Amino acid sequence: MDESADMPKDFIKLKSEKLSVDEVSEIVISPYYGAVSLFIGTTRNNFEGKKVIHLEYEAYTSMAETKIKKICRDVRQKWPSVKHIAVHHRLGVVPVTEASVIIAVSSPHRAESLEAVTYCINTLKASVPIWKKEIYEDEYSWKENKECFWANSEK
Amino acid sequence: VAVQYFARTRELVGLCSETSVPQQITSLQLWEEITKIHPRLVVIWDQVVFAVQQEYVLLGDQLLILQPRDKVAIIPPISGG
Repeated sequence: MDESADMPKDFIKLKSEKLSVDEVSEIVISPYYGAVSLFIGTTRNNFEGKKVIHLEYEAYTSMAETKIKKICRDVRQKWPSVKHIAVHHRLGVVPVTEASVIIAVSSPHRAESLEAVTYCINTLKASVPIWKKEIYEDEYSWKENKECFWANSEK
Repeated sequence: VAVQYFARTRELVGLCSETSVPQQITSLQLWEEITKIHPRLVVIWDQVVFAVQQEYVLLGDQLLILQPRDKVAIIPPISGG
């Protein structure tokens, strides 16, 4: 068994097509490691009593990829045993119940991959230049993550 | 230097990018130059940061030395994930 042939990799994708949990899980699975942890962010159909028709995502793509690569580097520093990391984020229209983001991490045992996935989504929400527009029946709203340090949440 | 606009700022300005700013300037002065051209952006002055060469820069005294091919973007509050 040549474990060194399975080098740790980061799989980052920003795309407008529907995301696939199967695809993301399969790319991080390694025959040498026993744990894969996953986070899926999906579109809700309501916000503060208003019906959400769908979400629309937009990104500063080149910088978003750079920031996600940095998140992967940070993960590997904090959890050196982590094997593969996959971050797939959908852009454009995302219908209700479909996934807007899927993050998967593989590691020898579950603690590292669970913690790494949590770190990835939390840091993504705080630092990656992607924007979400919630479309309601009569209006829309550009959302702001509470993790974003320059959002003025007390207006 | 090209300035790119995203999300809500793109809607306020009505376009995605343009070229128009001086090369040596503080980030606050840069904001003031941009709002002279696009006054509708003034309403969100306290909710944006810049991205200069893909690093976030707050509006303030930080001196920016911009090369002609540098990328500057106005970044409203993010909401990925």
